[in-house]
Order: sequence, then structure tokens, then C-alpha cells
Amino acid sequence: AVRPIKAAPPGLTSSVFSDPTVSKFVNMMMEDGDKVLARSIITQTFESMKRKQVEKYHKAPATEKEGIECNPYTIFHQALENCKPIIGLISIQKGGKYYQVPTPLTDSRRRFLAMKWLITECRDNKHRRTHMYEKLSQELLAAFMNEGNVIKRKHDMHKMAEANRAFAHYRWW
Amino acid sequence: MALTRLNRIVQLSHTVSLTRPLHGSGCGLQLGAATQTEAPMESPRAVFRTSESEPASHGEQHIGQFYTIPPSQVKTIFPHGLPYRFQQQIKTFNEACLMVRKPALELIGYLKKADPTHPSVRYVLYGERGTGKSLSLCQALHHCSLQDWLILHVPDAHLWVKNCKELMASSYHRARFDQPIEASVWLKNFRVTNERFLKQIKTSQKYVWSKREFTDEGRPLGEIVDQGVTRVKNASDAVGVVLKELKAQARPGSYRLVVGVDGVNALWGRTTLRKEDRSLIDPSELTLVHNLRKMMKNDWCGGAVIATVTQTGSVFTPSSAYLPQELLGKEGFDFLDPFLPVLVPAYSEKEFESSYQYYRDRRWIQHHTGHTEEGKKELLFLSNRNPAALERLCAFL
Repeated sequence: AVRPIKAAPPGLTSSVFSDPTVSKFVNMMMEDGDKVLARSIITQTFESMKRKQVEKYHKAPATEKEGIECNPYTIFHQALENCKPIIGLISIQKGGKYYQVPTPLTDSRRRFLAMKWLITECRDNKHRRTHMYEKLSQELLAAFMNEGNVIKRKHDMHKMAEANRAFAHYRWW
Repeated sequence: MALTRLNRIVQLSHTVSLTRPLHGSGCGLQLGAATQTEAPMESPRAVFRTSESEPASHGEQHIGQFYTIPPSQVKTIFPHGLPYRFQQQIKTFNEACLMVRKPALELIGYLKKADPTHPSVRYVLYGERGTGKSLSLCQALHHCSLQDWLILHVPDAHLWVKNCKELMASSYHRARFDQPIEASVWLKNFRVTNERFLKQIKTSQKYVWSKREFTDEGRPLGEIVDQGVTRVKNASDAVGVVLKELKAQARPGSYRLVVGVDGVNALWGRTTLRKEDRSLIDPSELTLVHNLRKMMKNDWCGGAVIATVTQTGSVFTPSSAYLPQELLGKEGFDFLDPFLPVLVPAYSEKEFESSYQYYRDRRWIQHHTGHTEEGKKELLFLSNRNPAALERLCAFL
């Protein structure tokens, strides 16, 4: 019998410039299925990040030029790495009460949490009249330098896990 | 397969490109330059840059090369003239570099050979969206400015026929409408470009602005411009006066005048503005448009009129229209007839190569695959050699 062939997902390209992490980020930003809008916001973010960095590069003296990172993709990946939590909290019920138990996270869960925090931070905690791409570019550049609210949230998560060390035995897997 | 669904770029690259036949002589050199690595920087640099910063001295051999405009000249000649994306590019790269291309070179050649005693020739730049009409116009105006002509640059005539916040009835003519904000902004920028001439040219008659304000005969034109800028209510009339004076006094003996209008099809199209009884306004009922139309006539000598017809920014025109006949309409075409049309095509192979090398040199193409042959072929395919499409693609790569 003939095996049925799976249809190609709409976000898959044969382009050399495609990046699976960026595609996942675009899908997470998407609302009401408007991938065009989400993708355009991401491209504008990369453009504005690149503009800021390239401007700094061209104005810097020759000694500092090597230190300035201009590639928006490396900045994005590095910022995402910096935002990924190492240890997470899980709600476990024991004896009628719910405890926040520290637990290791899988790679995909860590990536998901980092992206989710970035997007919610930009949506909620910024001035309402700035564009999304501006907010995202500021947040990504800050995360690249290990500053900013998302990094703070990651550190808060780590501190909570450290504080609840005693409950680690409630996890049975 | 769904390629990047960026609608604007797809629109730009799907238009039929009318590129000129490829000249194979330069290609061999370019192929060598493309496969060279980043380490020997000097030889690729010589291919796409030229040290000639005067458009008058550019020739056939400079086609495809970039020349730099010094920042002081950018501030005086183009306070409002350059397209927005190019201004951003100047800010990012810390330099203003324009590519020498065939249409601009042709135009500058005609300007050099034109006889000042004959009536002014009208040149119309046309082409598809994003092929470089506005920048070719800016290049020609740069050349004229360096030759010490008087520059009258309207950066986008479409801005005068749409989205006007304050529309007031003209005090001078009962049926016409004034646009104080647009007029005063334009006068400020005009003053920046032509400081020198404003002190030399004198008015030929007395102008009365209101019961207590008037400008005498024989006063420098700078006073009219100041009057327009300070008294915003009379700004449109001040623009009209300035245009009238410049046209009347542009004789072969005195200064040479060049009128550069981007989007001249706005003057004969339709407007989106409405009167108070919600009926549409015709462009001829706007003071600014009415006065500018008088400038576009060829009944004066000692200068030139360079215009661009563009669909970008125009209202009520289909996006596939790019020929002058379609965009100007019957009225506009008859008014401008006879004119010299100049087609601005998309990049040739050599120009595309040169543009790609320039972006790489200024660290604009950052993606690691953008530096490979595969990436370059993909950029060529996606942009269809359209300058604006290439610029927007490289912006996020």
C-alpha cells in the first residue's frame, strides 16, 4: 500500500537564510494566525538592532571595532542563551497542599520559557506608544549584555528554586 | 515552498524588469572579485568605489562605482531631498555614497550640453517602483549645485495633495485653498539650500501681505522667504511669489535655475482632500499646486526642469502603472509635452555586484551565508535586481 506523505508546514523554506530558532520565535509572536505581521516585526527588530550596532561600529575607534557584535542573528542567539533558565519550578500536590518543587528542564522547555518571557516582557512592561520592534530590539540588546528585566526574571526563578531546595524530594521522577 | 512572505519585497521583485542588455566586458573582473576572501581588502575596494566626488567628472568608466558626498554638502543641498531610507543609511554608515548609474550620467550630460538661451528642457525620469528615480534626481541636483545653479527641489509633490491637516481658504484668490504647514516647511528648507542667491535676487514689484505688512520693490528675496516662515498664514502666497520672481529673473545672463520635482504626476492627478461640504478638491484649486504648474511650463530659458513620475505615494493610481502616459493622465501629458523621457532600469549585473560588495564592505550583510555564493544567488533571485528590494532584503540579513 502507498504510505501517505505529510504536507509541508507553511514556515519551512529551502532558503539558505532560514533559521529554525527564528521560525519558532515568529510562531510564538504570532497572533490570530498573522504570520506576515509577526515575521515583519522580527525583520524590523533585526534591522533596528543591526542599525544600532553598525552605527556604533562605524563611529568607534579602530581598537574597539573588534569588540562590537553587529550580526543580529548571533546577538539573538546569544541573548536567548542568556535568558534560558537552568532549573525550573513545578507545582506538585502533597498532603492537600501544592508545593513549588525545583526540577531540571528539557532543552525545548528552556527555549520556550526564554522566548515566552521575552515576548510577554515586551508586550506588558514597556511604554505603550513604542513599537514592538523597538521594544524587542532594546530587550534583546540588554539580554545580550546580561542586563534587563528578562535576565532579572531568570535570576528570580533560580533564587526561588534555591530557596525551595528542601522540597526537591517531593519529585518522584 | 513558501519563501519569505514579505509582501512589499514580493511586489517589487515580481514586476517585469526591463534591464538593458548585459555588457559582458566588466563581468570577468567582477567574478574574480566575488570569489576573493575578505583578507585582501584593497582589490575589491577599487572595484566599487571611486575617489571622484564631482558628478561632472564622472564618465562611462565610473558606472557601477560609488562616490561619496561630503557631509557639509549633504546638509546644505539636501535638507529635505533624500528618500527616508537613504537618510537612515547615511546615519548608519556614517557616509553618503551614491552609485553612478547610466540614467543620472545621461541626464548630467544633457544638462552640460544644454544651451542656456533656448527654452528650458523638461526631463522626466520614469521606471518601476524602487529602481532609483529619486536618487538619480538627487544626483543631478548635486551636480547642478556644484556648478552653482539655483536649486528648487520639491522632494515629494504627493505630500501636497494628501493628508493635509490644516487647509484654509486662500486670502489672495477666493476659490483656492492654502496649505500653511507644507508651504512654511518647504520655505525653510529652500532657504537652507540657496542662502547665497536669496541675498542677490531682488523683487521686481511691491507685495502687500496684509493691512500693515508689505514688501517693497527691490528688497532681497530672503525677506519674502522670512515673511512666509514667520507669518505662516501667508506662507503659500510667499511660495507663489518666490516661484514667480525666480522664473521671471532666470535669464541667460544671471543665475541658472533647476527645478527638481519628485512625483510630478501628483500635480495633475486627484487629491484626497475635501472641502467643508465634503466635495473633492481638484489639484488646480490648491495654491501650491497652481504655482508649481506654472513653473513646469517651458516658457522661460536659462535652466532645466527635472521631474520624476512615480506610483509610490500617488493616490488613485494602479500599482502596475509606471509609464509617464499612464501616471500623468491626458491633462498632465499635454502640459508637459514635449519632454525628454529617461528610463531608470533595475541594476545590471555589474551594478548589482558593486552594490553587494559595498554592503559587505560597510558590514551591512551580516548573516554568515550572505557571504557565500549560494547566498548571493539567492539575493539576486529574491530581489530581481531591484535596488529597493535588495536594500530591504539586506536590511535584516
